[in-house]
Amino acid sequence: MAEFVPVAGAEDVGEGEIRAFEVRKTKVAVAKVGGTFYAFNDACTHLQCSLAEGDLEEATVICPCHGSEFDVRSGEVLRGPAREPVETYETRLEGGGLEIKL
Amino acid sequence: MPQTLAIVGAGPAGGSAAAALRREGFEGRVILIGAEPHPPYERPPLSKEYLRGETSFEQALLQPSGFYRENGIEAWFGVRATRVDAARREVELENGERLAYDGLLIATGARNRRPAIPGLGLGGVHQLRTVADCDRIRQEIAPGRRAVVVGMGFIGSEVAASLRQSGVEVTVVDRNEVPLRRALGREVGRVIEELHRDHGAELILEDAVAAFEGRERVERVTTRGGRRIGCDFVVVGLGAEPVTDLLAETGAKIQNGIVVDEHCRTSVEGVYAAGDVANHYHPTFGRHIRTEHWQNALRQGSVAARSMLGKKSAPYEEIPWFWSDQYGHNLQYAGLHTEWDELVVRGSMRERDFLAFYRKDGRVLAAVAIGRGRELRRSIPLIKARERVEAAKLRDPDVDLRALAGAAGSRR
Repeated sequence: MAEFVPVAGAEDVGEGEIRAFEVRKTKVAVAKVGGTFYAFNDACTHLQCSLAEGDLEEATVICPCHGSEFDVRSGEVLRGPAREPVETYETRLEGGGLEIKL
Repeated sequence: MPQTLAIVGAGPAGGSAAAALRREGFEGRVILIGAEPHPPYERPPLSKEYLRGETSFEQALLQPSGFYRENGIEAWFGVRATRVDAARREVELENGERLAYDGLLIATGARNRRPAIPGLGLGGVHQLRTVADCDRIRQEIAPGRRAVVVGMGFIGSEVAASLRQSGVEVTVVDRNEVPLRRALGREVGRVIEELHRDHGAELILEDAVAAFEGRERVERVTTRGGRRIGCDFVVVGLGAEPVTDLLAETGAKIQNGIVVDEHCRTSVEGVYAAGDVANHYHPTFGRHIRTEHWQNALRQGSVAARSMLGKKSAPYEEIPWFWSDQYGHNLQYAGLHTEWDELVVRGSMRERDFLAFYRKDGRVLAAVAIGRGRELRRSIPLIKARERVEAAKLRDPDVDLRALAGAAGSRR
């Protein structure tokens, strides 16, 4: 059953930033865009590079290894070589901390 | 409005063009003709994850297999086109049939160079371009078998790495003093050399193959330097040349590929070219360049499609970019350099964690990175700007390359 689990403090990810956190053995990337937190699986669906090590341009994250681009809000592939979307997780703020539904 | 648009060459450039024609709303016939019996697929995995058996062929397909039917694209796969009659606007096929076209895109790619080395035709001497080539090499792979890789360009280097990762004993032969010498220069080539040595590949450099020897199958490779290397199979990677034969009788300008302008138009009315085969005018560099990269093929294919439809579009001026994964290290290159006067390094070459800039007269012509893809990407605007940048700033890990590019841009 999916439930909300704490990931980080709300201050840990600044506007326009992206960072990875390990949550229950899953590496989760968190991006903050326009004041909203978006969480998704950190492993690029192409060859598993860490997306948090890539650049964030507005709501687009760019894989640092092979240039695949994903929309952090939906996980959708905007540009290959990746074919499959990344899994995204619902987020919420709870008592100054960020939680995701995992 | 044209009625029949034909694309010869069903690789990434041709496949991307076919998809783009429909995306742009073209409702006439689209015919995609490819000599291989497969729908368009991407070749980068063939020297890496697919060769190692880690990914499937389906994962390499440019589009899901139902895509062409769903989009009304006539898929003529396993059909070879032999010549173009530009005056009559017809493509002739291997079986003698002729196809009339209103617009034609040539996306025939490149073929491997086959130098006249004795024994090249022996069993077990492979080359790599198609998935069929790759499948033949895969059948040779087993731990403890011995392979010789001839040529340490990108294909040779990646194949050597994949074979080592699969437990094959690998000896490489290259005529230069380091791998990737021509593409990346001596200093970066040295890093690649050490990487391969650390993973147990034997490197025979500044030498060349004299002959492949054996009865029916290759048993040994001899070199001009007098080495005799026993082996079970060989992979030859000695470069490629554009496949331009089709246009031989059309009067189209051919020079290091099919010469096209920044909109993929050849010198012949109604005929376009894109991908590895196209020697295209690049506005940023002010000259024609021909690149054999995945990204170039895909994006140029889309540009060609728009041109075929007579749609106005921005000139194709993507900065060439590609990656090469070897032993889990991600190498990326962006830009275009043939000569340079200084290699400015950020990070550590020894630790295989660096970004290096090829600089000439103070300008960054190109950059190469191992393990620093984010920064490599950030240097692309710098390369595009073609303005002088201080070496100290390039070298300083605390200087954000995006800010540098911004500064360069604002001075224009």
